[in-house]
Amino acid sequence: MDKLKTKTFLTYLDSSNPLLLLHPCVKVLALIIFNVVAWIIEAPIPLLAYFVALASLYPVLRVPFRSLAKALPYLLLVAQAVTVSYILGSKIPGSVVYFELPWGSFVSDRTLMYMVTVMLRISCMILGSTLVFLSLRDVDLVYGLMGLGFPFTAAFTIALSMRFSILFIEDYARISEAMLLKGARLDAGNVIERARSVLLTGVPLMVLALKRMQELSYVLELKGFPPKGKRTYIYEFVWKQEDVVAAILLAVLLATSALLRILGLFGFPGWPFV
Amino acid sequence: MIDARKVAVTAVTAGICLPLALFAIILIPIPGLPAASGFWIPAGFYFPLTLWFGIWGALGGHIATFLAMGYFQGYTLHVWLDGAIGDLIAPLCALLIFKLMDARPDLQRKKDRIAWLIAVPVASLVCGLWVHTVNLLFGVITPPFWWVGVVTYFIGDSLAVFIVGTPLLRTLTSFVKQSPMYIWRE
Repeated sequence: MDKLKTKTFLTYLDSSNPLLLLHPCVKVLALIIFNVVAWIIEAPIPLLAYFVALASLYPVLRVPFRSLAKALPYLLLVAQAVTVSYILGSKIPGSVVYFELPWGSFVSDRTLMYMVTVMLRISCMILGSTLVFLSLRDVDLVYGLMGLGFPFTAAFTIALSMRFSILFIEDYARISEAMLLKGARLDAGNVIERARSVLLTGVPLMVLALKRMQELSYVLELKGFPPKGKRTYIYEFVWKQEDVVAAILLAVLLATSALLRILGLFGFPGWPFV
Repeated sequence: MIDARKVAVTAVTAGICLPLALFAIILIPIPGLPAASGFWIPAGFYFPLTLWFGIWGALGGHIATFLAMGYFQGYTLHVWLDGAIGDLIAPLCALLIFKLMDARPDLQRKKDRIAWLIAVPVASLVCGLWVHTVNLLFGVITPPFWWVGVVTYFIGDSLAVFIVGTPLLRTLTSFVKQSPMYIWRE
C-alpha cells in the first residue's frame, strides 16, 4: 500500500518525511537563511561546497532527487542569462585575456571565474528554495511568518496569495482550453502576436479575479476579519528537540558565513561589485 | 486600518500576478538578465488593479514579484529592493500621475487617455532605472547590461501594460465601478 502523502506547494511528500515534520518557523527561517548565506559567500570554492551540501540534503532528508528536475529549467534560464551578461558585457582584468569584443568588453580568466561564481550563487539559492518549497504547506507559511514576528494579517495575505496563484493557474488552463476549442491559436505568430493572444485569456481571467476578490472580501468579513483581541488557532505547533537543533544549525551557518566573510575567507579578492 | 476588502484586493492581485510573473520569465527571458522578461505580463494586470483599487493593488504586485523573482534570485534583500520595490513604485507612479491629472481609469475622456499615455512609459522608465541600478550594485548584471536592462525593462513593461492593461481598463472599469473597493468616486 502507498504511504500517506501530504500536499505541499511543489509536490506530494510522504507524511513521515522529516522535512515535512519540521516546525513552520524553521522552514521559513531555512528559506531565508539558505538564500542569504548564498549572498554572503563570494569565493567560488566555498560556494561550490555550499552547493554540494545543499544537494546532499535532498537524499539525507529523503526528498526524491527527481524533484530537482523541477528546478532544472530555472537553473538553465539563469545560467544563460549570467553567461550572456559576462561574456558580452564585462571588463574584468585577469592574467590571460581570451578575446576582446568590438565594443570594448573582454573575457579574461577572471571573467570566467566570476561568471561561474555568480552562477553558483544563484544555483545555490534555487536549490535551497526548492528544498524548502518541497516541504512547505500554506499553513506552514502563515504560522512560520507569525512565529518570526510578522503580523497575522501580513502572514495571512501572503499565504492567500500563494493559494490564489494555484487557483489562477487552474483558471488560466481552463480559459485557454475554452479559447482553443473556439479556434483561438494562443501559441502562433511572433512575440507581439503571442503577446496579444495573452489578452484573449486576460479579460476572462481578470473577471474571475474580480469575482474572487468580491467573494473573498465577503467571506473574510463573515469570518470576523480582521481579528480583534486575542485569537485562537486551529493548529498547535510545538518546538521539538529536532526543531531546536535545526534552528541552531541554521543560525550557526549564517553566523559562521558572516564571520568568515568578515575575516576574508569567504571573500573573493578583486570582486568587482559591492 | 487593514480590513477584509484591502486584504482581498492584495491577495487576489498577488495571486493572479504570481503565476503570470513566472510565465513571463520562462516564456520571454532576456539574455544576460536573470529573472527578467521582455514582456512583463503581470504589469498588464497590476497597473489596472492599482488604478482601480489604489495602493493595495500595487502591494499585491509587490508580493507577487518578490515571491516569483525570489525563486530565481533568492529571497534576499537584493530581490526585495530590486524587483519587488520596483514593481511597487511603477503602478504607484501611474496612480500618482492619474491623481495629479485628475484622470479616471475608464479612459473615456481625452484627458484620461493622455494620462494613460504619459503614466505608463514614465512609470516603466522610473521602475527600470531603479531595478537595474540595484541589479548592478549587487553584481547580478555587468555595467554594459545596465542600459540593456533599462531599455528592455522600459519596452517590456510598457508593451505589456499597453497591450494587456488598456483593454482591461476600457472593458472592465464600468464593471469594477460597482465594487465598493473602487477608489474613484464622482
